[in-house]
Amino acid sequence: MTGGAGAGHRAAYFAFDRFPSSKGSAVHIAQMADELFASFGGGLLGVLGGGGLPRYQREGDREIARFDAQIPNLIDRAEAFSGWVADHLEPHRETLEVCHVRDPWSALPVVALPGRRRVVYEVNGLPSIEMAHTWPWASKAALGKIRELERFCLERSDAVVVPSRVIGAAVRGLGVPEERIRLVPNGADVRERPERPSGAPERYLVYVGALQPWQGLDVLMRAFARLADLEGLRLVVCASVPERRAKPVRRMAERLGVAGRVDWRFALPHHEVAAWLAHAEVSVAPLTGCARNLDQGCAPLKVIESMAAGVPVVASDLPAVRELMADGEHGRLVPADRPAELARAVRILLEYPEEAAAMGERARRRIADGLTWAHSRAELASVYRAVMAGGRDARSARDVPDTPGAGRDVPGARDARNAGAGAAHRAER
Amino acid sequence: MTPCIVTTGFFVLGRCGRQAVTSCPQCGRAVCAQHAAPQSGHCPECMAAHGYGSQNPFDPSWTGGYRRRFYERSSQTYSDTYWYSSFDEFDRGAFNPGDDYSYGEGDFGPDDGTGFVDS
Ligand SMILES: [Zn+2]
Ligand SMILES: [Zn+2]
Repeated sequence: MTGGAGAGHRAAYFAFDRFPSSKGSAVHIAQMADELFASFGGGLLGVLGGGGLPRYQREGDREIARFDAQIPNLIDRAEAFSGWVADHLEPHRETLEVCHVRDPWSALPVVALPGRRRVVYEVNGLPSIEMAHTWPWASKAALGKIRELERFCLERSDAVVVPSRVIGAAVRGLGVPEERIRLVPNGADVRERPERPSGAPERYLVYVGALQPWQGLDVLMRAFARLADLEGLRLVVCASVPERRAKPVRRMAERLGVAGRVDWRFALPHHEVAAWLAHAEVSVAPLTGCARNLDQGCAPLKVIESMAAGVPVVASDLPAVRELMADGEHGRLVPADRPAELARAVRILLEYPEEAAAMGERARRRIADGLTWAHSRAELASVYRAVMAGGRDARSARDVPDTPGAGRDVPGARDARNAGAGAAHRAER
Repeated sequence: MTPCIVTTGFFVLGRCGRQAVTSCPQCGRAVCAQHAAPQSGHCPECMAAHGYGSQNPFDPSWTGGYRRRFYERSSQTYSDTYWYSSFDEFDRGAFNPGDDYSYGEGDFGPDDGTGFVDS
């Protein structure tokens, strides 16, 4: 077959996430998918598109397919994506050896597809926890069903890859046995110091990332208000989201009287963010102490990227952050949700620039020595080797219903239906 | 010279820019020798779309048809479902655009609401 649906890939990676984009998740997807395709001689990447991205792209032995149907309701959209993934698996059924997925809606059609192939499920967060925060009107019942869907997919995966031990514990809490959970930390690339961004203020604190409530921008703004006496000090917010998303945070900055000292940059390309990090006095990661960050855990790329840039970090003292940096060693850890303590830690770093610089340097070395993307990718490659070596036994030993010849019109239909119905009943109770 | 306008790249995207030798019979875009399918001269995007069973990705009805098929297969049927789909209308109701943390914005754009988790 010339062109068409690339003749039989051995590997596929699916994520319900736009790619590429300016979000941290896109950096992560690029690294993980690149390693997968390097290990299996190319493959298919299935992601979200829109915004002028082509539906299909071919780069040598890699194929990128993008789902861009404009379906407003998130659940409808996610389910449509599952159907789309199923369609895109179909031409590769005979050849696929490994599928790497990033969320339950990508995982469902993969685990329901008949035939033997390895499934690597990468859990960067659990929608059943996360969506309680992003969608305040979501009912307990709805979140319970999402949890059952997660469980259904996780228990049918050969390996579950997590970026932090906290997320690993959350996955174990869903019943995944320890030996199937593999830690593959996030990474960053340690590069030469980039040039100062044009228009950068003389002295500034930097915040990098999205603007959801759990990022703690409100805590940072309050802390910044307490630093009003530090003349010329500005706060640069490199938001990974479009400008209209910033309205609530901007309103708050105005209310607190700090708006005039805050500079905004939106959806910058990754390399430009690196330059803003490198020339900042301090990088702040004010994550809140909410369930999303504590129970589910997180693996804040901004902390790793700040460390790689050699800038001292002031971050909330959360277990997931402690896995990455030590207080007093690579920066400062402060209690979450406490503007006064955050402000004090920043002030001290600014007053002792030599010690701050030493922290930045140690942070940079810490990344270079063990948290580069090369390290992460080597770990991931070993996960692929392990699941490939695992053979059928590992899978059949699991307590998973397996109906031979199930599903005539839709692959895996009966399998998914039976299990799904059971799960739904459990969730209703 | 007419440049080939096929999108290239993995994480950082660009345009091919090589000299175009033909235009895709499906979508009409200019394609270089390297990107044109042998014989037919289709662009890679149209070729791939065809391989996955979709006709013309530039036809506005494409999305509509695709979406309808998904609905039939997944979300519309609660008790007799092909897929997992156990979400009823009440469950779904909380996940409309504008109901998320950006209260009242009501917008749904290509940069919004994509992905479930963000570091
Ligand atoms: Zn074309
Ligand atoms: Zn070209």
